[in-house]
Amino acid sequence: MEKSGSVDSLGSKQSSSRQPSVDSLSSSSTTSRSDRSSQAKPPSAVSSDSVSVSDLPLSPEQLRANIRNKPVPKVIRDSHKDEPQMLTKETVQDMAKDVTYICPFIGALRGTLTVTNYRLFFRCMDRDAALVLDIPLGVLSRVEKIGAATSRGEVSYGIVCKDIRNLRFVHKQPDDTLKKSIFENLMKFAFPVSNGQPLFACEYDQVFPENGWKVYDALAEYKRQGLPNESWRISKVNDHYELCDTYPSTLVVPVTIPDEELKRVAAFRAKGRISVLSWIHPESQATITRCSQPMVGANGKCSKEDEKLLQAIMDANAQSHKLFIFDARPSVNAAANKMKGGGFESEDAYQNAELVFLDIQNLHVMRESLRKLKEVVYPNIDEAHWLSNLESTHWLEHIKAVLAGALRIADKVESGKTSVVVHCSDGWDRTPQLTSLAMLMLDAHYRTIRGFQVLLEKEWLSFGHRFQLRIGHGDKNHTDADRSPVFLQFIDCVWQMTRQFPAAFEFNEYFLITILDHLYSCLFGTFMCNSEQQRLKEELPKKTVSLWSLINSQLEEFCNPLYVNYSSHVLFPVVSMRHLELWVGYYIRWNPRMRPQEPLHQRYKELLAKRAELQKRVEELQREVANRAAASSSERAGSPTRSITPVQTFV
Amino acid sequence: MFSVKPLKPTFKSYLPPLQTDLKKSPQLTIRKLEAKLLPGEIVVNEANFVRKCIGADSSQDDLWGKLICTNFKVSFITHNSLPQQNFKYVHRLLGEHDVPLACVEQVVTVNDVKGKQKVLGSNKKLKFNPTELILYCKDLRILRFRFDQAGPESAKKVCLAIAHYSQPADPQLLFGFEYVSSRYYGSSGERVNGVDPGGGQQTPLFDRPSDWDREIKRTGASEWRVCSVNEGYTISPSLPEYFVVPASLADQDLKQYACSFTGQRIPLWCWNHPNGSALVRMSSISDPQQQRKLDQRICSAITKSHPQRCDVFKSDLDKQLPNIQEVQAALVKLRQICVIEPFEESEEKWLSSLESSRWMDYVRAFLRHAVEVVYTLEGKHTSVILLEEEDRDLSCVVAGLVQLMLDPHCRSLLGFQALVQKEWVMAGHRFLDRCNHLKRNEERRKEESPLFLLFLDCVWQLLNQYPSAFEFTETYLTVLSDSMWIPIFSTFLFNCPKQRAEHSRDFARSRSIRLGQDQALRFPAVWDWSQQFSPKDQTLFNNPLYVGKGATCVQNGAVKTFKRTKKSYSSTLRGLPPALRNGQLSDLDTLPRRNSLVLRLRPELGQAREPCETPCERFVRERFSRPADPQGMLLPQLLPSHLSLWRLYFLRWVPEARIPHGGPATAFHKLSLLVDEIHTLQSRLRHYNTSNSTPTPTGPPPPAPSLALSPPPNPPQRPHSLSRPQPEQQQQQQQQQQQQHHGRMYFRTSSSAPAGTPSTPDYLSSSFPFSPEGNLCRRGLLGTPLSKLLSGARIWLSTETLANEAL
Repeated sequence: MEKSGSVDSLGSKQSSSRQPSVDSLSSSSTTSRSDRSSQAKPPSAVSSDSVSVSDLPLSPEQLRANIRNKPVPKVIRDSHKDEPQMLTKETVQDMAKDVTYICPFIGALRGTLTVTNYRLFFRCMDRDAALVLDIPLGVLSRVEKIGAATSRGEVSYGIVCKDIRNLRFVHKQPDDTLKKSIFENLMKFAFPVSNGQPLFACEYDQVFPENGWKVYDALAEYKRQGLPNESWRISKVNDHYELCDTYPSTLVVPVTIPDEELKRVAAFRAKGRISVLSWIHPESQATITRCSQPMVGANGKCSKEDEKLLQAIMDANAQSHKLFIFDARPSVNAAANKMKGGGFESEDAYQNAELVFLDIQNLHVMRESLRKLKEVVYPNIDEAHWLSNLESTHWLEHIKAVLAGALRIADKVESGKTSVVVHCSDGWDRTPQLTSLAMLMLDAHYRTIRGFQVLLEKEWLSFGHRFQLRIGHGDKNHTDADRSPVFLQFIDCVWQMTRQFPAAFEFNEYFLITILDHLYSCLFGTFMCNSEQQRLKEELPKKTVSLWSLINSQLEEFCNPLYVNYSSHVLFPVVSMRHLELWVGYYIRWNPRMRPQEPLHQRYKELLAKRAELQKRVEELQREVANRAAASSSERAGSPTRSITPVQTFV
Repeated sequence: MFSVKPLKPTFKSYLPPLQTDLKKSPQLTIRKLEAKLLPGEIVVNEANFVRKCIGADSSQDDLWGKLICTNFKVSFITHNSLPQQNFKYVHRLLGEHDVPLACVEQVVTVNDVKGKQKVLGSNKKLKFNPTELILYCKDLRILRFRFDQAGPESAKKVCLAIAHYSQPADPQLLFGFEYVSSRYYGSSGERVNGVDPGGGQQTPLFDRPSDWDREIKRTGASEWRVCSVNEGYTISPSLPEYFVVPASLADQDLKQYACSFTGQRIPLWCWNHPNGSALVRMSSISDPQQQRKLDQRICSAITKSHPQRCDVFKSDLDKQLPNIQEVQAALVKLRQICVIEPFEESEEKWLSSLESSRWMDYVRAFLRHAVEVVYTLEGKHTSVILLEEEDRDLSCVVAGLVQLMLDPHCRSLLGFQALVQKEWVMAGHRFLDRCNHLKRNEERRKEESPLFLLFLDCVWQLLNQYPSAFEFTETYLTVLSDSMWIPIFSTFLFNCPKQRAEHSRDFARSRSIRLGQDQALRFPAVWDWSQQFSPKDQTLFNNPLYVGKGATCVQNGAVKTFKRTKKSYSSTLRGLPPALRNGQLSDLDTLPRRNSLVLRLRPELGQAREPCETPCERFVRERFSRPADPQGMLLPQLLPSHLSLWRLYFLRWVPEARIPHGGPATAFHKLSLLVDEIHTLQSRLRHYNTSNSTPTPTGPPPPAPSLALSPPPNPPQRPHSLSRPQPEQQQQQQQQQQQQHHGRMYFRTSSSAPAGTPSTPDYLSSSFPFSPEGNLCRRGLLGTPLSKLLSGARIWLSTETLANEAL
């Protein structure tokens, strides 16, 4: 039995359209959101969300929580409630009491399990252990019954999550065998794509003060880089994704190569992913360009047009008469690709080009490495062999390889003033890792919060990193060989850089973790689909909310207070095992024996507040003294009022 | 630079490097190079036209100068300056290229023409003329000098002198004795210069009853008393003259008990928890017949001193912690992989090598043990006795850590110094033996152990996990450990207070120094930091993040204690991202009371695999679910994944590991500027306040910018500060402060720079304030990894000098 309550403190019209369906098990709501923008309100007014709560009226806490406008649910403090704080369009699908969560750290805990169309919510009923599990269904990778029912009629379910944890629940088989158990329902809602249902992101319609879909505008970003210029032009050849369906519509290419020739080049590069510009050095004009492997094949084919394009890329940079081609793969793999029609550039065909292999393993190796890492960190750590176990996963070694590759690219561009071409096989996994990391080292703009969003939108999303395939949103096929933690690995590399340069990034660790959490959550449309073309076709900007809408609406939570804007600084991290660390704040965050680092940032914010307070007071006093001086010069008997407020010193 | 494979060592590099750089020929240096000597320091030997190696790969940056061996240090003096080095803190006792002899671990001489090497010991002969000298230092530096242009005889002599003088046969040959007698006592033997053994400040040395009395009062240990039975060290040779015992034990009993304990060490009180439980350290009872009886007596006396008469828990450290040789072996291995092995070659197996050194394991073992003691004291309200055979090694580490975790006072600079003084120096940690300052033989080598460094590493782990809980920085901890190798400070020169008294009395007698009222030579304590650093450089010790104890609150001139309010707690919690809270026991409102059982497993779930959690683990986990209070109890995270290598200490000299423009120093810089700004604002406010309260109608208000240099308003509350100064004194003090004080922060906002755009100095790096330049010439070692050198050298070397480098 459910009762829906809609709160609308400001009398918005929205409430009528937001009435949650009472029993939306069969919901396939496709509410039109064409009027979204007209509904956008200033931040102070975005306080009206409808919240559906079963059996309970809205509590003041929930109201306050709504006013703070946190779409990411917070743990409810009130121990009477078994339900999560719901999002817009989120509805309870099933609920079971007396479910036991077998916590690998504390043991069995009994509580209530709720499944909505967005999340799995478990609340422990033990008065002493106030444990709450609140997991977006998108995080689930696999749900399975473990073993047969016991003599007491209990069944056990194991859940494997994408965010480095596993869950195990035990509950009684319903007496009525016809009724589906909560886990059967869970499987239904956890994998909507496999069941022909839309992802929750298509229903979620929270309005934020900023529309994150507008964060990235390719032309504006190229303009920031000073493009087009005398050597580079913006080409519309891929406007309708005819040249390459996995590339963005806006491409930057050398002025000397007309569109017709680009089409011929496309035939020679895998999937038509020709060499286009990613970044240009503001002073030396050295560029980072990206592409896929050349279709050399076993017979060693070559393409005059491709050679000409690379020559043009080299010529566009007057500082150097060389071009470096960075092939991300180990040379063995690159050679093996010849049998499949691919391969690498021969230095004979490409004059003045030097080919360097960066020895980064493929996505299958990375997936296996993460699997091993999960075994080592979850749930418990073998204390005696921690470091050697960590070493045997090779995870940090792979991180090192990626960072080292990016460092070589950045060094070539910055110190060598030489243009570089980066590719792997298809140019959508290792290539964006390398280009975006190198750009992060070279260009301080990408180290700001908005700049980083642009970097992701540009190098990852618009250039067709296949997020849907690599993550498998809402897809139950957890063994899919296309899944791989390529993006996670990139974020890990970024985190390593933030550790080495604590003052060089505008964002904090929580920003990176939030991105990863919503990579899986399926709450936002940002990481859905495989390419710009698909996203446009699915009308994601219309149908879904962007993650950047959330982040840019509460920037202060993601800010690194230590940030110093060294605009001209190039960062060269030390790529050594001596400095690389396992990102415990991400990989080991579920272990209750770990405590998040003492918030240094909190302390810093306290200090900032202190300074502001003192500055204000000094100004007041200065003014007062000035006034007094003026007053005493006119009338000597003036008695200034004392208005000195207490000063607290923390330090 | 990035990871280009290093050149494989070849035998080609045995050839002497080509002299390509004529500009640097030694003839150009006409000005005379003279050693800067301290009082009591004399030159033993010297060699001219020596080249100090700077870069690992080329001789391009090498410096020409004079290599001097004195009775205190190996000194290299040059007119050249290091390339690209625009920052260096100035050491008052040591020049830029100097190494104290006590810091020299191993002296290796090489003749690359003949292809010979030799590790030099004290009083050894050298049959070839060295072309190169390599000094392996205890602070992990590796220095290299070349004698291509130097006179062969003088080169040989200076090498032999260094080898000989770095291993004196007798403690009184350590430089500190000469230094103190020359500096503080005139030629006729009377005291001339005042030396403040307390370090110019108020660090209690615990060498007099009043220090102990104050400690008893501070911790509220009312049932404990200061006992002076060991005055003149008549009972125990290793105990201090004054220490604290249960009030119920009479001096007579103590004297009687003493002979049954190892080293006649009567159990020592360390600290009292506010709940009344006490921390006590005790050596083993050597007399088996007395064991039970004595044990009972001691325990019951401690129980009587507990307000709730709680039982006593005994923690046997010898059984649960690594011994001193194991700790020493761990450091040898760790040093091997950190500084000696070629950087690139050790990359691949870095993690497993780190693990196999076991250093991190030992750090964790000591921290974990301390946590268990903390749990007993805090969670179970039970007094704890730390048991150790001799009570002079492991107990020092554990007793120190327990107090750091439980007592915020110990995390202030003075409190920490007092802690080291109390649990290490006075408790008789054998610094002389553990540092191995004297001539090394097999027996002495067994006694060498870096226990104090291990303790500092544990402290660093706490500091790393709770950056705002400590008044000092990691630079302070590093500099403190380096001070062990400057044999001047009473702190690290002796095995126990009695040894100090005896040696200095003998020395004074032999030099006819009149000690007067003093019973012994007054060595400076390391805590007098002005011995080593300028006031400005000492500000590198101040942690800008520190949340001081009961940070003072100035309210209309009256000083009140400021307590962290509930509000600030909740704000910390809010700072905790929801994503991190998710899945954890984190509900503040429903937190279990202390000791309540979290788990009441339903019987039917018995079959489910139940992870067993010890009460102590649960204690820790419950604490972790609450926001940390920097002024409350600190519990370290003990998962091996959460302890890190102390990079500043272990990697500061490694050029390849240096992060230019990065590392924690950049955060330190930013924070220091902010805190300095706050200080400036506060002092301005104070100024306005005083000018308001004492009306000076004639004078106009002073211009604001000049206030930027006024002293910080609130020097941190010194625990034993003097009574409030009189008004005149206050004025004087202020003047003094104005002269001396340069602000509490190392980095300051310059009044000219526009606010909000602080430029980061170029010299900041992960090694700051240290620099690898010329301090780690590992790879230039004839292109041969040291291990190969040594295994080759072994054939014609005495084994004695190699024992320490054996793998």
